[in-house]
Amino acid sequence: MAVHEAQAYKDPGTPEDQSRRQFLANATLVVGGVIGLVLTVPLAGSLIPESLIKPDTAGGTWATLPADGMKQLAEKTDAPVKITFSFKYADGYFPPEDDTQFVWGVKLTPEQAENFKAKRPDIYANPAGKIGYDAVVMNFVIFSSICPHLGCRYDWNGAANRFICPCHGSQFGAEGDKLAGPAPRGLDPLPFREKDGAAQVTWIQYKSGQPDRVIVAYS
Amino acid sequence: MSVLNWIEQRTGLVGQITDFLTEDVPGGASYWYIFGSATLFAMILQIVTGIFLTFYYAPSTASAWESTNYIYHNVPFGQFVISLHFWGATAMIALLFMHMLQTLLWGAYKAPREIMWVIGILLLVVTLVLGLTGYLLPWDMNAYFASQVAINIASSVPIVGSATQQLLSGGAGMGTLTINRFFGLHVWLMPAVLVLLVAGHLTIFRHNGSAGPPVDQDLKRLPQGRFWPNQMFMDALASIVIFAIIVILSIVSPPALDEKADPTKFFIAYPAWYFLALYGLLRLAGDPHVPAALTPIANLFATVVLPGGLITLLILLPFIDRNPSRQLSRRPWILGITALTLVIAVGLSLFSMLKIQDEQAAGSGGGGAPAAAAAATTGTSPSGGTAVAVASSGKGLQVFSQSCAGCHGATGMGQPGVFPPLAGNSYVTGPPTAVVHTVLYGLTGKIVVKGGTYNGTMPAWKGNLSNADIAAAISYIRSSWGNKASAVTEADVAKVTK
Repeated sequence: MAVHEAQAYKDPGTPEDQSRRQFLANATLVVGGVIGLVLTVPLAGSLIPESLIKPDTAGGTWATLPADGMKQLAEKTDAPVKITFSFKYADGYFPPEDDTQFVWGVKLTPEQAENFKAKRPDIYANPAGKIGYDAVVMNFVIFSSICPHLGCRYDWNGAANRFICPCHGSQFGAEGDKLAGPAPRGLDPLPFREKDGAAQVTWIQYKSGQPDRVIVAYS
Repeated sequence: MSVLNWIEQRTGLVGQITDFLTEDVPGGASYWYIFGSATLFAMILQIVTGIFLTFYYAPSTASAWESTNYIYHNVPFGQFVISLHFWGATAMIALLFMHMLQTLLWGAYKAPREIMWVIGILLLVVTLVLGLTGYLLPWDMNAYFASQVAINIASSVPIVGSATQQLLSGGAGMGTLTINRFFGLHVWLMPAVLVLLVAGHLTIFRHNGSAGPPVDQDLKRLPQGRFWPNQMFMDALASIVIFAIIVILSIVSPPALDEKADPTKFFIAYPAWYFLALYGLLRLAGDPHVPAALTPIANLFATVVLPGGLITLLILLPFIDRNPSRQLSRRPWILGITALTLVIAVGLSLFSMLKIQDEQAAGSGGGGAPAAAAAATTGTSPSGGTAVAVASSGKGLQVFSQSCAGCHGATGMGQPGVFPPLAGNSYVTGPPTAVVHTVLYGLTGKIVVKGGTYNGTMPAWKGNLSNADIAAAISYIRSSWGNKASAVTEADVAKVTK
């Protein structure tokens, strides 16, 4: 493209003209900048996913635990309590789907609650095993019912006073620590909170068969 | 060495941009010239907001509405971004019309700028297609029914109509493939064509130079203004004012998302404002006062001849207009025709708006005492009042008003492109068994009534209305609004019921 000579630019004009033009040039850039800034905020903001805004569920949804299940848990101190609950999980904009799961609730003694971190190096010492929420809330810990070995549902054995998985014999203590067997890590605690008088938990499925905790799904 | 020099040596970009910006504006910079750049600004706003919407929107019947709803309620600033995109579309088309008008009045389409103008008209068509295709994407009631009308308009074109309708819909009727097609057009093909045409438009603009004021003198003799920064400052100022208006409208009046599209339900669609005039033409062509024999020709005029003719005339304008003068006082024909076209377009748009409002009121007032209810909602004597005066009162009118008027209209006018009229409908006044069968068992698929194509869904009333009610309603429609055919008895209906 040949650079041509435009008439209007030949005469630089008076210093007044020049400073006025400088002002117009600056003002034009400022106007452009203002428009850009005003747009950047909502546009960049729209990219923030819900999981960053509400990190306490690690991206899942809160489900309410049935009152009688929680009552049982609050009263029982000698053994974990199995609590079944239903919830709706939603993936983005799709209509919510129904799901039913059960969890193992454990009421810890104040001593157990204090020593929980020490008892569970698989959560707190392994950087890849960590969870983004508190495992112990109000002295309760709620465990996912999925065995971290290969995904079976394990059970509480009262006589042996431990969780035992029927599939390959992994054994876990009341605090979820691995006692024996092929499981690569201890039991997975789930997000737990009290809201408006009801107990709520977030169902998270972690990938089984490895020491690291990687979220696979919320159903 | 400065940064600019470094970039210039390696890319030549600085020189090109400087070249683009340091241009003469014959007669000096003016606020009259801001419409082109304002349209460009609106276009960029649409592209930018559109990109961010594609991070969440998913085109399919299972996800179009759901993902739009998600943007509205779950995405931070989601409703605001959709609002910007909605009002930005209105702004872009309004500014485009202003830009066209200013160019036309200033005679800036005359030699050597004819190709500039032709590209501009193509840009207008592409922008209108963008508006049309974008309208469907939320897949709510209004999106569905408005697009249904648009596709049916396309299908009424002779010879190629049916193929066109199937090509647009991706099938026989509107469904998930339609959404995908419109999405592909709206997000990929049309923006690509738009950007290419705009690039061409701007390149040729630089080659021809600014047209300047509407005078017949040699442009080079006029005092020259500077494009940068004087004209660009005015452009920027106009852009930020328009941006402010769009932002305020977006906050104060975000577009509503109706419930998800349901083809079996009744809904009076509202086309985008820039299509109201075309819709008004369609209404006039389908008016019951038009004799049935002339209706196909009237429809053809409304949908193909007049709009197509207008676009063709616009494209050929620089070649048809032999008047070498750019001065307005020496171009009475252009002034007159432009003014007339504007008056007709605005008049048709207003006519459309009022018609739609009437029907929405009549449709919602179609329960119980129809005339009273309709009068209460519109406050004027509604078209339903005429029906009460003309037809016999009683059961037939009551059933019709409650169950049929919602789609077919209180005066049996139907809704162009969606629900067929009953007035002057030879199927209605023909053999009674056919009418009874349709009312009892419903009807889907494409039909042609009085030259107009309809592709809606007539629900089955068997079980929802008693045989006596059906007989009364059918007798009513066969003897109303100029229809003159025999009544139908409850026994006649029972015979068709298996």
